[in-house]
Amino acid sequence: MEKTTLARGTSKTSLIRNGVIIAVILAVFIVIPQVTSEYVTYVVVLALIYAVLAGSYDILTGYTGPLTFCHGAFYGIGAYTSALLTLRAGFSFWLALPVSGITVFLFAALIGYPALRLRGHYFAVTTFFFGHFIYLVILNSVKLTSGPMGLRGIKAPESILGLNFSTLQGSYYLIFVFSIIIVVLLYLLVKSGIGRVFVSIRENEELAEAIGINTSFYKVLAFSIGAGVAGLMGSLFAHFFRLLHPTTFAWMTSEMVVIMALVGGLGTLIGPIIGAGIVTLILELMRFAPELRFIIWTVALIAVLVIEPRGLMGLIRRVKGGEK
Amino acid sequence: MSTILKVKNLRKEFGGVVAVDDNTFSVQQGERLGIIGPNGAGKTTTFNMIAGYYKPTAGTIEYEGKRISGLKPHRISRMGIGRTFQIVRAFGELSVFDHVLTGVLAHELHFRPTPEQIEKAEQILELTKLNPFRDTLVKNLTIASQRRIELATALATKPRLLLLDELMAGLTFVEIDETLEELRKINEEMGITLIVVEHVMKAIMQLCQRIIVLNYGRIIAEGTPQEVANNKTVIEAYLGEEEKYA
Ligand SMILES: Nc1ncnc2c1ncn2[C@@H]1O[C@H](COP(=O)(O)OP(=O)(O)OP(=O)(O)O)[C@@H](O)[C@H]1O
Ligand SMILES: [Mg+2]
Repeated sequence: MEKTTLARGTSKTSLIRNGVIIAVILAVFIVIPQVTSEYVTYVVVLALIYAVLAGSYDILTGYTGPLTFCHGAFYGIGAYTSALLTLRAGFSFWLALPVSGITVFLFAALIGYPALRLRGHYFAVTTFFFGHFIYLVILNSVKLTSGPMGLRGIKAPESILGLNFSTLQGSYYLIFVFSIIIVVLLYLLVKSGIGRVFVSIRENEELAEAIGINTSFYKVLAFSIGAGVAGLMGSLFAHFFRLLHPTTFAWMTSEMVVIMALVGGLGTLIGPIIGAGIVTLILELMRFAPELRFIIWTVALIAVLVIEPRGLMGLIRRVKGGEK
Repeated sequence: MSTILKVKNLRKEFGGVVAVDDNTFSVQQGERLGIIGPNGAGKTTTFNMIAGYYKPTAGTIEYEGKRISGLKPHRISRMGIGRTFQIVRAFGELSVFDHVLTGVLAHELHFRPTPEQIEKAEQILELTKLNPFRDTLVKNLTIASQRRIELATALATKPRLLLLDELMAGLTFVEIDETLEELRKINEEMGITLIVVEHVMKAIMQLCQRIIVLNYGRIIAEGTPQEVANNKTVIEAYLGEEEKYA
């Protein structure tokens, strides 16, 4: 009895504390485009997009288990789908956005269904080559994507309710609000019964099957949800920068998402999101030394993984004195 | 009494090795059946075929009048067959309560666990005496406790038939007695049919009403514990080695 009251008490204060933290963070994000330079605003938009990418990546790799190296490809498919739908098929952005998300979701399900039958390393390696394959398709479908010349003239999101999204500030707020909505939905997902099912598959797939969980279905579901979100972010990216180039979706991007998730701590959702912020920030701060950037960065990454393989969230847990 | 499980000419080959050799047996509703036999006799392989982990090379398995051989493990679980593994399997990062709750949710997924589902998980913790470990992470518990958690999680799926593979391996005598009492309760009060594979002879003799003896994949004897214990073939094949040195 006493224990439950105690637990409720702590959860109430921590609720208030978390509420305050969230309010402060939101306030900071809201004032950023008002008080900082355009450059900073651009960087923050990029960080937001990466944060959602890393968070959605966590659904399969962090919560459900299988490691993938192709998140950047889904991001790219979403971006090009949305851009082409608006450029060639006369779609409005507001229609192209959900259509790109759904297209990538379905595409991932189609790929994931056979690929997720492969176990462990085989699946991971397959996703790596799949990611590269998509990049090559984008690069070489010159008629459709303009290939290495890049796709230009992409429209800004049409204004709705008198809100103008063609300005930097307008599109900043659009991406900001959208990112928050997606993160909240992902949070609800991982805390739901479905999230519990995902975790059970990660923890022991055979036992999950023994208690009646259709593990192949839920793995494909986790893969497709992650991919679908990446597709949505691709669409937002396309209509924010209004210029697409294949290299944006090359293996470096997929790798970056993996690194962000690892730095933050897989399977925590918030970890990869924070990880994305930190990594984007560090990479920007190191722009003064472009040759050294990746060397310093790689060494730092190895150091993080050696010190705490569960990333930042693992470090926090350790400092808080919970478990080793 | 009706038949809950009917196994006909069941066979499994691994490459050249015949692990299970044309076995036929059935299990009655509410029965406590034991399967014994030396190492490599084919006990686990038989379980893996019933639970859908291995496809039989030949033969059929019928559960509650429906053919289940060839179905996926999760389908078979949903039809009411629960199992535990010889080598413990657990969701290590979950608390004991969440582990059992996952079993409850597995067959009836809700966005949030319903109050009834939470209540059900509580009841099972009570029944299996896992309450003191409620909030402990499963990975931090002993193998013996993890076995209990596996059993509890299987119970959470409301099985009508339970396959228990060496549940009592490595337990102390006191723990074996406790487990036996618990299994009787599960069988008599919850009405769950049990098939038990066990090397602890004393336990299986006490618990089971009928025993099947496997040797080199073949059923070599079948009967009450008394009959099996006095069976010449069994003594030769199974207990023979001990006799030699006795
Ligand atoms: N996946 C597999 N691949 C190849 N051979 C296997 C496989 N599983 C079991 N076997 C073989 O089948 C035979 C029966 O094994 P099984 O595990 O069913 O025996 P068991 O009666 O459960 O033995 P134990 O008492 O040691 O658990 C053994 O010869 C074993 O080596
Ligand atoms: Mg065995």
